[in-house]
Amino acid sequence: MTGPLTNVSGSGHLRLLIIEDVPSDAEIEIAELRHKGFEVAADVVDSEDSVRERLAHTKYDAILADYSLPSFRGMETIGILRQLNLDTPMILVTGALSSETAVECLKQGATDYVLKDHLARLPVAVRRALDETRLRQERARAQQQLAEKVEELARSNCDLEQFAYVASHDLQEPLRMVAAYTQLLAERYRGKLDETADRYIGYAVEGATRMQGLLEDLLAFSRVGRNGDSHVLIDLNVVVEEAIKNLTIALRDQGVIVTRNPLPTIHADHFQLVQLFQNLIANAVKFRGKVIPRISISAERDGEDWAFSVSDNGIGIAPEHKDLIFKIFQRLHTRAEYPGNGVGLAICKKIVEHHGGRIWVESELGRGSTFRFTFPAAAADRADKKEQAHELYAQNSAGR
Amino acid sequence: MTANSSVDILLVEDNPDDLELTLHALRREHLANNIFTVRDGEEAIDFLFCSGNFKDRSFDHPPRVVLLDLKLPKLNGLEVLKRLKDDPRTRSVPVVILTSSKEESDLVASYNLGANSYVQKPVDFDRFRDIVKNTGLYWMVTNQRPLANPAQAAKAAGKP
Amino acid sequence: MSSTHRILLVDDNPADANLTSEVLATSERPAQVNTVEDGEQALQFLHRTGKYAEATRPDLIILDLNLPRKDGRAVLAEVKADPELNELPVVIFTTSHSPRDVARCYELGANSYVSKPGNLGQFFSAVRSIENFWFGFASLPN
Repeated sequence: MTGPLTNVSGSGHLRLLIIEDVPSDAEIEIAELRHKGFEVAADVVDSEDSVRERLAHTKYDAILADYSLPSFRGMETIGILRQLNLDTPMILVTGALSSETAVECLKQGATDYVLKDHLARLPVAVRRALDETRLRQERARAQQQLAEKVEELARSNCDLEQFAYVASHDLQEPLRMVAAYTQLLAERYRGKLDETADRYIGYAVEGATRMQGLLEDLLAFSRVGRNGDSHVLIDLNVVVEEAIKNLTIALRDQGVIVTRNPLPTIHADHFQLVQLFQNLIANAVKFRGKVIPRISISAERDGEDWAFSVSDNGIGIAPEHKDLIFKIFQRLHTRAEYPGNGVGLAICKKIVEHHGGRIWVESELGRGSTFRFTFPAAAADRADKKEQAHELYAQNSAGR
Repeated sequence: MTANSSVDILLVEDNPDDLELTLHALRREHLANNIFTVRDGEEAIDFLFCSGNFKDRSFDHPPRVVLLDLKLPKLNGLEVLKRLKDDPRTRSVPVVILTSSKEESDLVASYNLGANSYVQKPVDFDRFRDIVKNTGLYWMVTNQRPLANPAQAAKAAGKP
Repeated sequence: MSSTHRILLVDDNPADANLTSEVLATSERPAQVNTVEDGEQALQFLHRTGKYAEATRPDLIILDLNLPRKDGRAVLAEVKADPELNELPVVIFTTSHSPRDVARCYELGANSYVSKPGNLGQFFSAVRSIENFWFGFASLPN
C-alpha cells in the first residue's frame, strides 16, 4: 500500500545513499527520518569513487548529498546519475546556502535542498521527492505502453491489409479459370446434357461469378489507404462532378435529380473522395423508393471540422440497422431485392476514418436517409500521424 | 482547350482533307475527348518534348497515342518517330503510323524504329473512316497505356 | 501479305491458351496459332532452333508475362534487341494490371499491352479486338 511514508515501490523501507564526510551529520539526518516513521537503511560515502561504486551496484530510493565535501562537490552526483541513466531523486543537505546558489542547484537537477539547521524539513522533502519520482515513473511507463500498443496496432493493420490484398489478388487467378470454364460449359452444353446437369452448372456459374464479385470488392476495400495516399488540396465540387459523371447512365435511367450547395476545398486523397461520394450517390439511387429520387449534397463548417451530408428520399433505414450497414459484406436485403455485396458503405467508412473523420446516418424507414460525415479541416495532420505509425513499424521491422 | 491539358490523341497530319476526315471519324465514335493536331514534324517534336510553343507541357502527361503521318513538312515522320523512340522520356508513348504510303521500305523502317503499329490510309472514304474508327478503338480502349506519372500509377493501382 | 495469319501464342496457362486459340481460330480471317508454354520455347521457336527448326516466322506474337523458365519480360527484351526479330509486333496479353509492368514493357519496346479481363465475355472481346486490329486494319512486316 502506498502512502506518505513509503518509498517509490510502496514499502516503508527507505534505501538511502548519504554523501557526507561528517559521520555525525549523517547520523542526525537518519535519526530525523526514523523519527518521522521512515525505516532507513543508509550507506554513507564521501568520495566520488565510492559514490560511483555504490550507484552502480545498489538501487537507492533517494540520495542526500552535502553541497561541498573535501574531495567532491555534491552536485557532481547529478552528472553521475545521468551517466548511469538513473532517475534517483537527490536532495542537498547542507549548511548555509545562498538562495541564488540554491536555485541554481535546483535548476541543475537537485530535487530539493534542506538546510542542516532546519533538518525538521528533511522528512517532508524526502516524502515529496519520492512521490514525485513515483508519479514520473508511472507516467513514463504508461506512455511506453501506449507507444507499444500503437506500434502493435499499426503492425497488425499493416499485416491485415497485406493479407486482404494478397489473398484476394492471388485468389482471382484460379477463380477466373473456374468462372470462365463453368460459363463455357453452360453455354456450350446447354440442352445437350440433362436438366439436372444444366441446373448444377448454373449453380456453379452463379457461385463462381459471385465469388469474383466478392473478391473484387474485398480488393477494393483493402486498397483504401494501401498505396500511400497523396493528400493534396482538392476542390470537392470537382470531386462530386466526377462521381456524378461516373454514374451518368444510372442517374439518367432513373431520372435522378441531384442538387448541391457549394462545397469546400480540403486536404484529402482525390481518388478516395471520388469513391466516397460515388458510393453514397450510387446507394441513394439503388435504394430509391417509388418517387423520383432526389439527392442533395451539402457542407457546413462545424468548429474544427467540415460536416457533409448526402440526403436522399429513398427507402430509409431502420434504427437497429444504422451501425450494421457500415460493416463489410453486411447486407439488409436479399440479392433478389437489391444487388450488391455490401461493401460500398464499408469502403466509405474506411475512407472517412482514414482522413480522421466520422460517418453516420440519420434515417427513418420509408422517409429517406441522410448520410453525414466529417472531415477535419486540417486533415493533413491526421495523414501525418498515420504515416508516423507506419514508419515506426517499418523502422522497427528493419531493425529485426 | 489549351496545349497543357491532357491530350488523348496527338494527330500529326499536314494534309487538310485527311485531317478533316480523321478528326471527323474520331469524333463521331466519341473515342477521345481531347484531340490535338499539329501540322508538321517540328511542331510534333516540340509538343512531345515540351519545347518551343509547348514549353508548358509536361513529360508526365503524354498523349495516349500519337497518330503520325510520314509525309510531313519540316521534319518527316520517320525522323519524328526515331527521335521519339530513342529518348527514354518519350519512348513509351504509343505511336501509330497512319500513312498513305504503300512502300514496303517505309513499313519495315517504321517497325524497326519502334513504331507500335502501322496503318495504311485507303483511298476509299468509307474504308478510311472504318480504319480510323477501329484504330481509335483499339488504341483508346483495348490497349493499356503506360502511366508515366507515379501518382497516376498509384491511382490506377487503387482502381477497382 | 500472306492469306493465313500466323500467330505465336506464349502462355503457360493451358486454360487461357485454350480460350485465346479458340477465339483466334474462329475469326473470319484464317489464322494459324502456335502455342508455347514458356519463354525458352518461345525464343527457340522464333530462332527456329531445336525442335522448332521447321517453324515459320509468326506475323504477330501474343505474349504473357509470368512464364516459367524465361519470363515474358525477358523474351520481350530479347526479341526487341535482336535486329532479326525486333520488327515483329509483340502484344503483351497478361493478367497483370500492375502499372510497373505496363511501364516496363513499353520501355522494353512492346507494341501493345492488353490486360486479360476476369470476365469470360470480356476476355473473348479482348482477343477478338487484338485479332481484329492487327490482322484487319494494321499492316504487318512480312
